[in-house]
Amino acid sequence: MLSFFSSTEFLTVLNALNTGFIKTLQLFFVTLVGAVPLGLVISFGSMSRIPPLRWLTKTVVWMVRGTPLVLQIIALYYVPGLKGVPIWSGGESGRFTAVAVAFVINYACYFSEIYRGGIQGVPAGQQEAGLVLGMTKRQIFFKITLLQMVKRIVPPMSNEIITLVKDTSLARVVALQEVIWMGESFMKGNQGYAGLVWPLFFTAVYYLVFSGVATILLGKLEKKLEYFR
Amino acid sequence: MMKSKKLWALLLALAVVLSLAACGGKDGNADGSASAVPPEDQTAGDAGSGQADAESDLAYVQGKGTLVVGMTDFAPMDYRDADGNWIGFDADMASAFAESLGIKVEFQEITWDYKVMELNAKSIDCVWNGMTLNDEVKAAMDTGNAYCLNAQVLVVPADKAADFENLTSLEGLNVAVESGSAGEDAAEALGASTTAVAKQADALMEVSAGTADAAVIDLLMAGAMIGEGTNYANLTYTVNLNTAQGLESEEYGVGFRKGSDLADAWNTFWAAAIADGSVLETGTTYGVQESLILE
Repeated sequence: MLSFFSSTEFLTVLNALNTGFIKTLQLFFVTLVGAVPLGLVISFGSMSRIPPLRWLTKTVVWMVRGTPLVLQIIALYYVPGLKGVPIWSGGESGRFTAVAVAFVINYACYFSEIYRGGIQGVPAGQQEAGLVLGMTKRQIFFKITLLQMVKRIVPPMSNEIITLVKDTSLARVVALQEVIWMGESFMKGNQGYAGLVWPLFFTAVYYLVFSGVATILLGKLEKKLEYFR
Repeated sequence: MMKSKKLWALLLALAVVLSLAACGGKDGNADGSASAVPPEDQTAGDAGSGQADAESDLAYVQGKGTLVVGMTDFAPMDYRDADGNWIGFDADMASAFAESLGIKVEFQEITWDYKVMELNAKSIDCVWNGMTLNDEVKAAMDTGNAYCLNAQVLVVPADKAADFENLTSLEGLNVAVESGSAGEDAAEALGASTTAVAKQADALMEVSAGTADAAVIDLLMAGAMIGEGTNYANLTYTVNLNTAQGLESEEYGVGFRKGSDLADAWNTFWAAAIADGSVLETGTTYGVQESLILE
């Protein structure tokens, strides 16, 4: 058993899975960096006092949340080219960009609803207190509401973030070679190995380790924000 | 106060417009009368990718300097060596073809079901991956001349092989096949109840795991993937489904966009490569020389 872990088969597979997991991580972080701020902008839209803007934003959120992410990826990647305007390159980088855009839009819409819940969940008394202290609306929003919103949204955001780790596997539909694609590749044949089933199941280890680390870090963040209580 | 509100509204409008732009494409496609736009029609709105595109696919590919070959990992046609480079009969010949056009070759793994969409979306320039020339392929792509012969074979557990000899019907058997493959057509024609899976390799796993009685895959792939010395030593292949149906062998071809002049360029290249012996030489390297069409 131990000798298996030093065999060329294991090392070759591990190397390929590592390459795939780096792609997974890149997609994960790019999505977070893009979707966390975009989600806030969208949440302002769905709370706007201007009705047309509010309806428009809510319709977009409904469409993005109401259709499968896998369909959005396919549409975003192929439709421009099919319409005669290929905006993504055919190689690996074009696929990554298209998938990243799809993920950012999709996750921003989910995040926006979490933000909205967090903002509206801050008791009205907090804002009234700010008014009494003579703060402007802007000061009240940034120094009172937004600050308390951050603490409230950590648990639901943790949920979405852990889902995101696993959702990155959908990117393989347009042949982005993330870790599951790499695991599957050994079933058919890759670098001289064919018919191996274990690499596919072994990818679970990567997801488990990564979501474990994410859980611990997010738990620490939650503890740090406890003084708001 | 009013100012900041306006700023937010502006930011939002921007975000909304961006998201709508993404959705607009989808709606437009649903409304369009034809999803596979012929190249003649495409050129009108195609200012972005250069005017060479308007006349010739060959000029378009030469203009961007790379031939993107859409393929899957399919030994012995396209597969990776120990260093991760693409090799195989198709891969080597594709490199030679790109070289003859004076451009670089780029191999891109694709999801097989999306090959036509990939071609039409111009994310790849050709499909070159031991592709059987069936009616669907011929309707959706312009193909070069056939270059290799293939047959569909029935893969069964080695210890049960005797039960399957000289079968002419698959009735009552549960057979795993690749979705949309020539093997699926063959198995259904012989009366099998089929389970469609995503890849030929998945079909092998079904047999190996005992969840299907048999699988139908390409002869060339079966030769490379199952039997002694492979990870499927417990499997073997018996019946040639083409013979069982009284059909001719299948043929492999290279697929290009509909209306592309690359298909003609390919035929010229291939005739020259047969004449100078490089087709046979490459075929011998990968053990497919018996199946090549050399005329």
